[in-house]
Amino acid sequence: METTDPGPPLVVCDAGPLIHLDETGSLDLLGDFPVVLVPETVWREVARHRPGALSQSSVILHRVSPRTPEPPEINAMAQALTLHTGEREALRVALEHRSCILLSDDTAARLAAGHLGIPSHGSIGILLRAIRRRQRTKEQILSVLRSLPDQSTLHLKRSLLEAVILEVELHA
Amino acid sequence: MSQTIIHAELPAELTARARSYVEDGWAADFNELLAEALGRYLESHSAKLTEGFVLEDVRWGLHGND
Repeated sequence: METTDPGPPLVVCDAGPLIHLDETGSLDLLGDFPVVLVPETVWREVARHRPGALSQSSVILHRVSPRTPEPPEINAMAQALTLHTGEREALRVALEHRSCILLSDDTAARLAAGHLGIPSHGSIGILLRAIRRRQRTKEQILSVLRSLPDQSTLHLKRSLLEAVILEVELHA
Repeated sequence: MSQTIIHAELPAELTARARSYVEDGWAADFNELLAEALGRYLESHSAKLTEGFVLEDVRWGLHGND
């Protein structure tokens, strides 16, 4: 049977990946996705902490507001998991675009996304995907991964980062 | 339960909101509110969960199809 490549999906961004990818000179990797949606509250958060990330010519970011009221299930999860306003809004926008993926580096936001049936990935996934999509060489991504503790505010347990680097060295 | 005294720098606006919350009677005192908030954060951001998401990212990043 013939299989078809689904191609890159539309993505909805939380603040973390925009900031962390920009810190490592990797924001252009988002240019591989057909549409990158940035919810209004997330946009303002990034504008406060890393405004340069919003004006990169390598990727077009679409500033959007949710079109529908917050569904009760997001409200309930936001209370239970103490989600920030930007994370809540990102989940709302993601729910409005059923075939999208959510990009977030926040564990609670990704947990909520999973409960809502929204696939989610983080900055590490985007970096490693760049090898598969031939946006970067394996060596370039290894260099970025090794620089994370010094170049980025993405905090990872040292042993986990070493495991990720080893996985790339062996299997990418 | 043993207690530890810490010194922490917090954003002024956040501190003001927390103090107002306590003054309104929603928490016994600032210490209780801080301990509750820390406990909840650590529950919803457990190291095990976070590690699981990163490993999932590794699989998707290297071997996904989108």
